[in-house]
Amino acid sequence: MQLSKTMAYARAEEMMFGTCLYPVTTRRGMCLGGGEVIPEIVVHPRAGSEKSLKTLLREFERGYNDALERCVSIGHPHVCLEIEHVAQMTQKTEWGEDVAAQTVSLMDRYEERYGIVSGCRFTIADLRKPDMVHMRDSDRSQRVLEAIAACARHADMVAIESIGGKEIFDHAIIRNDVTGLLFAQAVLGGRDMQWLWPQIVAIAERHNCLPSGDTSCAHANTAMFMAGGYHGREIPHTLAAISRAISVSNTLVAYECGATGPGKNCAYENPIIKAITGVPVSCEGKSSACAHSDFCGNAIAAVCDLWSNEAVEYHSMFGGTTAAVFTEMLGYDTALMNTAINLGYEKELQACMVNSDRYRDPQSYILCPDIAWEIGKVVVEHHQSLYSRARAAALKCGELIFGDDKLQLTTYEHDALRHYMADLEKLPADEGNFIDLCLERYARIHGFRRESYGL
Amino acid sequence: MKYLEDNSLIFSRYDLFREQKEERTHRFSHDALLQEVAEHVIHGDDEKIITIVDQALEYKRPEEVIREGLIPGMDEVSRLWGEGIYFLPQVVLSADAMLEGITRCEEKMGRPMEKKGKVITHTAEGDIHDIGQLIVNALLRAAGYEVINLGVDVPVDLVVRSCQQHRPILLGGTALMTTTMTAFPRIAARLKHLNLQIPFVCGGGAVNEDFTAGFDLGIWGKEASWAVGIAEDALQGMTWSQIREKWNG
Repeated sequence: MQLSKTMAYARAEEMMFGTCLYPVTTRRGMCLGGGEVIPEIVVHPRAGSEKSLKTLLREFERGYNDALERCVSIGHPHVCLEIEHVAQMTQKTEWGEDVAAQTVSLMDRYEERYGIVSGCRFTIADLRKPDMVHMRDSDRSQRVLEAIAACARHADMVAIESIGGKEIFDHAIIRNDVTGLLFAQAVLGGRDMQWLWPQIVAIAERHNCLPSGDTSCAHANTAMFMAGGYHGREIPHTLAAISRAISVSNTLVAYECGATGPGKNCAYENPIIKAITGVPVSCEGKSSACAHSDFCGNAIAAVCDLWSNEAVEYHSMFGGTTAAVFTEMLGYDTALMNTAINLGYEKELQACMVNSDRYRDPQSYILCPDIAWEIGKVVVEHHQSLYSRARAAALKCGELIFGDDKLQLTTYEHDALRHYMADLEKLPADEGNFIDLCLERYARIHGFRRESYGL
Repeated sequence: MKYLEDNSLIFSRYDLFREQKEERTHRFSHDALLQEVAEHVIHGDDEKIITIVDQALEYKRPEEVIREGLIPGMDEVSRLWGEGIYFLPQVVLSADAMLEGITRCEEKMGRPMEKKGKVITHTAEGDIHDIGQLIVNALLRAAGYEVINLGVDVPVDLVVRSCQQHRPILLGGTALMTTTMTAFPRIAARLKHLNLQIPFVCGGGAVNEDFTAGFDLGIWGKEASWAVGIAEDALQGMTWSQIREKWNG
């Protein structure tokens, strides 16, 4: 498979929210990345609603009905509904399909009654825990593919958060082991996606559904979550930033296999992906505080095409249910961005977003459009292998963080990053040699089996 | 793009404010070799620890190496972690080093070191997100507990059977998803039915205090770092309701 060799965007300054180089259109005619930012609402079912198909269907119906109703109530012109599978929906294919069919029927009803055009994305649960099953040859792998097919029959878009390499990643992230992160994310995660994504693309195309994208949720978001806030002591923020830079190598594989975008919301690496591929991307920041905290609440919106809340559990609030409330907030966020586009103030608004968070933390710094573009550039320049581009991204990430005096680091963060850079410099340039080194180093890690990745 | 010269009205860098200078580590032993054993634990050096433990074992009994070198080293790591000086990876690497050292001492003793007590941990049925469980396991092992790790996606039946078989002082469960954490009250009800009053600490992304307060035996484990403290309380004989009152509410 050919790895990306060129940048879609010639300059970072060309990247803007609401517009991408390769917009896509859903089967209901909603254009994504074609000049407008669209809210993407994700509602998560309450605990206990998974006890039967009937209760789960009811929960999703309530949630997404509330979302659509609020759009109509205050006049949001478009909305995208994302349904992230709970495990039971992938385990029992018919559950996932029934929820998909119900959601589409709800969208059709609202379109017919009010003329609102909406889209829906279904994200299948990756059940293949690497230390439990063979990633390519197990009942669970089969079930994941069947669930994708079942949803693709109804959905506008399908996506997944693949978890290849998670067994090594979890071992490495709590040991400050940047070599392990490279192996887990780029070599194992990337190879797993090279196996998985051509199948997802083929299934989606058969059903006139968009194979949208993947995310490094299992890796870089775990790192972000563990790094926590300014008071967090779990892992250094610079390690989370490096994990994010590495994640570009594997997230990119989906698009190299034929994914069209929009990139999945929780892929915080999406600004870098957009710079390389030109596909539309969904992003999340301040409006996803309901699900997790991050340092780039505004800056991550700088180049988004869809704007998401990650996931909010369905509950009542003073202003309505969470589904309605978050739809309203997302819709007003996108209304502001779309107003700026239409008044010709988009550069000014983008500058405000970026300045809000640029120097808040290394993790937000590397996702600002100019820095994201620089990281993307070294990724395509080192297209020899999944590993070489990931290592180059990690080194560039460290170099950029050290290179800007305005980005202050604590002594601990500074020393940690210096240590990672030294480790990265020492690693072999060639992927084959790196794999040999890692197969020896990680052979004894619980649950790691090289054959799961074709090694 | 125009950039602000001064961000102080936009955000405050509390991490820089609270930054502390690294403290010198304490002296634990007058014996230079045992002091070195402790320092290798503190620095998480799981490669060189074996060499230095072997040197110490030429002059000291394995029990002494554990008691006066390895354990004081790990206690110091706990202090540094508790005071916010150490980060998690430093604690995990120290735990790895200490366990390597203990294994070497156990080989010399010809028997395993006596553990403080048994703890069973698992990730909820249907859930495969177990990094929190890995951290808890590492911290508990480093603190001297025997950890029976049931793994991920563990059926309710298996958790209950394991509790019947091993009679742990504490049961731990993690869940990321709201739709999987519902296994916890089912486990608790089964344990109660069997009259096994084992404190059941539940943690993970989806779990909150309201949820665990809704069933007997349940205790909310907000942070992985609470695990050792709660285990110590269980070891001292505190009941699940006393532990809940102390750590929650």
